[in-house]
Amino acid sequence: MKILSKSGNELLLLAMKDDSAAKGDYLLIEDRSRSMIVQVYDEEYLSSQALVEDIVKEEVVNASSMENLHDPLNIGSLSRLVRDARIFRAKIRASVNDGKLSSDVTWLPSRVESRIRRLAMKELDSFLGRQGIFSIPLGRTSDGEEFEIYAEDLDGKLTIITGKKESGKSHLSKILVKTLVQHGAFVVIFDLNNEYNGIGWNRDGTPSSVHRQVKLLEPGKTLRFSLNYCGKGAVSGMLKNALDMPAASLREFFRIWDWLENKQSLSMDAIGNAVNTWNINELVRDALVSRYHVIQSSRLFADNGLQFEDMISAGSGGAALVIKMDEVSPTVRRMVVELVLSKFVDLLERQVIPPIFLFAEEAHLYIRDTYWEDIITRMRHFGIYTTFITNQPDAIGDAIYRQVDNIFLFNFTNDGDLEKISKVSLADNDTIRSIVRTLPQRHCLAIGKAVCDLPVVIRVAAAEVLMFGETKKFFKK
Amino acid sequence: MVNNMATQLNPPFDASISLGDLGIAESLSKCIEPKLEELKGKRIVFSRDDKKMIPIDGWGVRSDLNPTTVTTIRPIKENALVAAIDSSSVKLAETEEGGLYGTKCGIATAYAGRALMHFKIGPVLFYLSESSIQDSELEERLARLTLLDDDFAKRLIRVRAERAVQKELASHLTNSIILVDGSLKASAFEDRERSIGKIAESCVLRKNTMIGISKGTKFKVLERAAYPLTKVPGPAYIEVDMIIKSLIRNTVGSNSMIKLEKNSPVLRSDIVGDRSESLGMLLGNDPVAGGYPETLRLAHYISIFTSTEMTCLRSHVLNSYDVTELAADDIRRTLLGSISI
Repeated sequence: MKILSKSGNELLLLAMKDDSAAKGDYLLIEDRSRSMIVQVYDEEYLSSQALVEDIVKEEVVNASSMENLHDPLNIGSLSRLVRDARIFRAKIRASVNDGKLSSDVTWLPSRVESRIRRLAMKELDSFLGRQGIFSIPLGRTSDGEEFEIYAEDLDGKLTIITGKKESGKSHLSKILVKTLVQHGAFVVIFDLNNEYNGIGWNRDGTPSSVHRQVKLLEPGKTLRFSLNYCGKGAVSGMLKNALDMPAASLREFFRIWDWLENKQSLSMDAIGNAVNTWNINELVRDALVSRYHVIQSSRLFADNGLQFEDMISAGSGGAALVIKMDEVSPTVRRMVVELVLSKFVDLLERQVIPPIFLFAEEAHLYIRDTYWEDIITRMRHFGIYTTFITNQPDAIGDAIYRQVDNIFLFNFTNDGDLEKISKVSLADNDTIRSIVRTLPQRHCLAIGKAVCDLPVVIRVAAAEVLMFGETKKFFKK
Repeated sequence: MVNNMATQLNPPFDASISLGDLGIAESLSKCIEPKLEELKGKRIVFSRDDKKMIPIDGWGVRSDLNPTTVTTIRPIKENALVAAIDSSSVKLAETEEGGLYGTKCGIATAYAGRALMHFKIGPVLFYLSESSIQDSELEERLARLTLLDDDFAKRLIRVRAERAVQKELASHLTNSIILVDGSLKASAFEDRERSIGKIAESCVLRKNTMIGISKGTKFKVLERAAYPLTKVPGPAYIEVDMIIKSLIRNTVGSNSMIKLEKNSPVLRSDIVGDRSESLGMLLGNDPVAGGYPETLRLAHYISIFTSTEMTCLRSHVLNSYDVTELAADDIRRTLLGSISI
């Protein structure tokens, strides 16, 4: 390979047939004591008008009559080499001076003297100093080298996994969840498609290594709370945000709550009786009665509900709390999310539980708009580290993208999605558009802190766990 | 003192001097008579890039020849192989002592009205220096000119390569038509064993026909003589042996002006063999498009150097012959600058 030209932070490299590099590969351009790290983001033919004319002419001639060659100097093979020559478009990512990584890329490597070679992931890691204690093996790079990130890279961070349908997003998130649990972390999953329960099982049906640590919580069944445990704050948040209760009605509800609490008789039945007998405006009573019935039918409250801190202290080696939301109505989903998040914030504030990792699939379907930023900014400080998984990048606001630490981008072919993601992601537009468009299934482009801000293409490892949540089909193969 | 200074700074003659004072304009007008008044009423075709341009409908001048001399060509449906040959040569590099040239030959064949196959020969490289020219049996003055003039050198290589191919085809084929680009005229550059005369001899011995077709002719008289062909609807020819033989020596075969299709250009053709039969066999076996044989067109395309081949040849020379490339510049560009319009 040879350097052809430079424009901005982009290098054009001339590659012959045997020079191989895939989109996303890193190359090291060595020029005496200095080196430059570049990443290939696109590949095209070396093309000139004359070359195209030659190819067309030859094809036309060969189509009209059979060819016989006498080429004593074997110029034809050289000619074929020229026609197969390619241009790699590469972005300059960093330079290496005396073995140390530097962001000084203001110098130009020699076109004549420079040696260009592929950079192995291990070598890149050593330049980056990328290391940690709790590794999460994600799969392999295009070279076949094993690739891992570290749990520390997700700790305290906001992560987004996005890509089009069936590109492998859930697959990656399950790997992350399982490995985090193996490392002793507590992970809460809002499971919209009932697929995370499979983490507890291997593909052959035997229990997985985290089988005992996976807790399936079904709203109205295994996920029920006592009113006292939730507290006035969580319940009022639920009424206000999930059930859209007006302020006037909310005030009356608080008075009822306080009265029952003082009497130490706080229960769903007591609230129901109070609402019916309380001396209030009839419109307010109607508002309270309708909300009461929704809460009753959700069966989210019981006298003896679960306590998260008990579950977490019981699973001292880490746990995955899978909140199953596929069979509940959108209103109940919102109620569950409000209650769970409020309760975790309360527990974290009081330092009753350690920080947790939250995995939210298609969160736009159950988290209200105004709540997003709260999750991102406030909850991070309490110790809720969120990973959003979505196939609609435009469902996540720009404000959230600006706070994001890691993005795992799977394939997108839709121009609108690419436009959105390239505008807000942590890598440059050209890299995103070119690499993401051509990513095969289960390949992703990792961007952000986990990869020290150098985008890496990863082939995500095959799932060891049982895959639930796959699309049910009428015509079975 | 100020006056002295002014005198010293002045140019040797007055800056307001005019061309009229020097008499240049007058001298120029007398060097040859412009005679522009004679242009009046003439029909003209503008030249472009030194290329030969011909009026689409001919010059429209009357021919002194009797229109009955026009002979219609009837395609003969008797299968025969048509082999068309073309070649090209380029200058690739220069050394202190000589020049490095490349040549390519193309042979395109057709049979029973269909293209059969084509052969690409080369590129082949030749280094022309004093020693190689001495071995070429060239006349001394011509040999020296060849070393001095690139066009002569390229012509030498092209003629010799083309004649070598023609000779082999003429000696191996029978009852075939050998098509050559250009007239069948002996060249000062050909070697004795592979002269056009010897090739024609081989053709006759092996019952081959050789037809040379020229796309253009320098002789305006031939265009005038071919005027009746423009009025004929189909393929036809006019014999022009008398005119050609009176203008040039060393031509081989009979000379004609031919038209191979309706509304197609008139071409000069030299034929070794029976004129009518040869042209009839050609039309019967070689597809003709735009008034030009397809085999000859294909031979032309496969024999010219492409820019990719030129690049590859340079690379081959650098890699194979232990040469050192020196930095070079276009002297005209250096001296004249780069003002382009």
